[in-house]
Amino acid sequence: MTSTESAALAEPAGPHAKYLRRRSLEPGAPPALVPARMLNEVTYCERLMYLEWVQSEFEDNEFTVEGRAVHRRADQPRPLKKADPKRPPGPPDRAAADQGEEDEGEDEAPPPSTPPPYTARAVWLSSERLGITAKIDVVDVEGGTVVPVEYKRGKRPSVPEGAYLPERVQLCAQVLVLRDHGFRCEEGHLYFAADRQRVPIAIDEPLVEATLAAVVRARALVELGAIPPPLADSPKCNGCSLVAICLPDEVNLLRDGAREEPPAPPTFMEQLEHHDVEELGDDPWGLGPLQPAPEPREDGDRELRRLHPARDDRVPLYVKEQGAYVGLKGERLEVRRKDQRVVEARLSNTSQVCLFGNVQLTTQALRALLERGIPVSFFSLGGWFIGRAVAHDSRNVELRVAQHAAASDPALCLRLARGFVQSKILNSRTLLRRNSREPNAVALGELNQLARKALEAEELASLLGIEGTAARTYFGQFNSMLTERARVDEQLLLAGRNRRPPRDPLNAMLSYTYSLLSKDLTLAVVTAGLDPLLGFYHQPRFGRPALALDLMEEFRPLIADSVVLGAVNNEIVGRRDFVETAAGVNMSATARRDLALAYERRMDQLVTHPIFGYRISYRRVLEVQARLLGRVLTGEITEYPPFRTR
Amino acid sequence: MRQTYIVAYDICDPKRLRKVFKLMRGWGDHLQLSVFQCELNPRELVELRAGLGQLLHHDEDQVLFVNVGPVEGRGATSITALGRPYTHPERHAIVA
Repeated sequence: MTSTESAALAEPAGPHAKYLRRRSLEPGAPPALVPARMLNEVTYCERLMYLEWVQSEFEDNEFTVEGRAVHRRADQPRPLKKADPKRPPGPPDRAAADQGEEDEGEDEAPPPSTPPPYTARAVWLSSERLGITAKIDVVDVEGGTVVPVEYKRGKRPSVPEGAYLPERVQLCAQVLVLRDHGFRCEEGHLYFAADRQRVPIAIDEPLVEATLAAVVRARALVELGAIPPPLADSPKCNGCSLVAICLPDEVNLLRDGAREEPPAPPTFMEQLEHHDVEELGDDPWGLGPLQPAPEPREDGDRELRRLHPARDDRVPLYVKEQGAYVGLKGERLEVRRKDQRVVEARLSNTSQVCLFGNVQLTTQALRALLERGIPVSFFSLGGWFIGRAVAHDSRNVELRVAQHAAASDPALCLRLARGFVQSKILNSRTLLRRNSREPNAVALGELNQLARKALEAEELASLLGIEGTAARTYFGQFNSMLTERARVDEQLLLAGRNRRPPRDPLNAMLSYTYSLLSKDLTLAVVTAGLDPLLGFYHQPRFGRPALALDLMEEFRPLIADSVVLGAVNNEIVGRRDFVETAAGVNMSATARRDLALAYERRMDQLVTHPIFGYRISYRRVLEVQARLLGRVLTGEITEYPPFRTR
Repeated sequence: MRQTYIVAYDICDPKRLRKVFKLMRGWGDHLQLSVFQCELNPRELVELRAGLGQLLHHDEDQVLFVNVGPVEGRGATSITALGRPYTHPERHAIVA
């Protein structure tokens, strides 16, 4: 190291002492080092930083996948390589890189006086003093100065600074860390892969200030331990890959609706203004003028932007063929029986795998499924949901702690349970009102009354009583929703709800679809990062997925009951599909298949969300509701928004 | 929103050809020699392109992506066949 390089080491100490002093390094404090990547995120959106860093949530979209592809080569550490002096700036093309690797061993030692230029990849450096850790894609070293290069997937933006602030902050953090390690580093480069341009970024005083302020801000947010509020109607949410986890507009609506907000704490950008950073301007991301928030309509029905996809368009794979085995063949799952191929499914097109009874799944296939985060569910032959295999539990510990705290709060449990039961009663009333051939006004009135009583229940026990009474009234009217033709066959009629074993065909079908629904709610709850075994209304018992059963209440009539009604009324299943035994009524294999298909069709159907106003499939609704319940548990919104159709 | 793509490839080396074929089988249906029909959302298209990009020799191989249109629209109606029958792949739950 030359003397000039060591002089550069002390450089940022003076003017930024206030930032450096505020950073605590005591044990128990949040991690001392903020990754440079998180400085990018905190500058872009504080909530995004919190979700990614503190809650360890992540989700891919096309931009993140492309970003990883761009980084693939830069992320692989490799031996130091001499740069080709004739090559224009920019990463080497593939052929040149391969060439370089082959030549490497044969090079002579460089003359000691003038070290030749070289590049290093995936350089991971930290600075305790600055509180930053940075993984630098590429470092170019030439004649005593170093230049960090950060790869970006997109095109070079046309802004005078060369790039938007979050990227420049990230790069600046890398420069500061390099300087702290004694390197002479005047500027950093951003390489934009889409148009293959390397853009030099000046590391000026305001940028250093913004970077160090971002370190302080990120650590303060972590220390605070509360998730920052979502951005309000921001165009930044459009390309964000975490939008289905963050649910910005949904959370904002429910927060606004619930109570008068205290003024939001100043965001990072507002804080920066207090530090007289004028250079940033009003619109540092160049996103154009913000749209004014849409005026709420008179009737209170605000339609939100649906930022996440309306449906998950991958398809589930059910294997009910006894003696079949599911194996992996390349990128496909192959279901075989007696050396005959039954069916194939592409892994990339599979949302989940459900195995019924005696079906084998090879270890290779199971591992391929878990690697891709595709859940596998196991059922008995008769459809009893036994369990599931998932890759890893969610890493969002904060949410799980909040769930356990909430479950030990009787008042919150009762409040949530009231809502679940009320929604269930109201949704079953709606189904009855809409589908009955001659709606029974007395029963409808009774359900209405019970729904009101559910909201006033003083304890869980009385809530159970109300739910039972409502179920008796509802299932007493169930036959009135069947068509004339279906009702002719008396054996098909429902004689009240019974189960374990079901004693008539309709009860068998209801039990079967409830089992499928409890599977999907268990998966939704797990996806949202919650513990499916710890419920609020249903008490934990013998591995019962109590939380899934809680959330399931409001969806029983909407999904399961309506699938059964449709299957009977449209004669998808009939009397011929049931076998009566001493132990109860069993469904034939074809009926089980047809019912599963009808159930999946229902899950794929688009429905208008009663609160948010956008169209969304039932399958996605389950996930959205589970995530919103998570937000209730962490205290971000006060009331769980029920899903009730009109 | 998924789009239907016709992916056609021209690979100059049998070993790479097998690799490309194997990868393509994970993303679409094999229509003809070196031609696949894929229904991809934007993320999957990027994944497929990245995967292929690693296999190809960029100076001699070529893969073409033809966007036929949205899956529930032109993508479903714009392909017709002469000779052997063509069946459009359906998207629904697979129950075996």
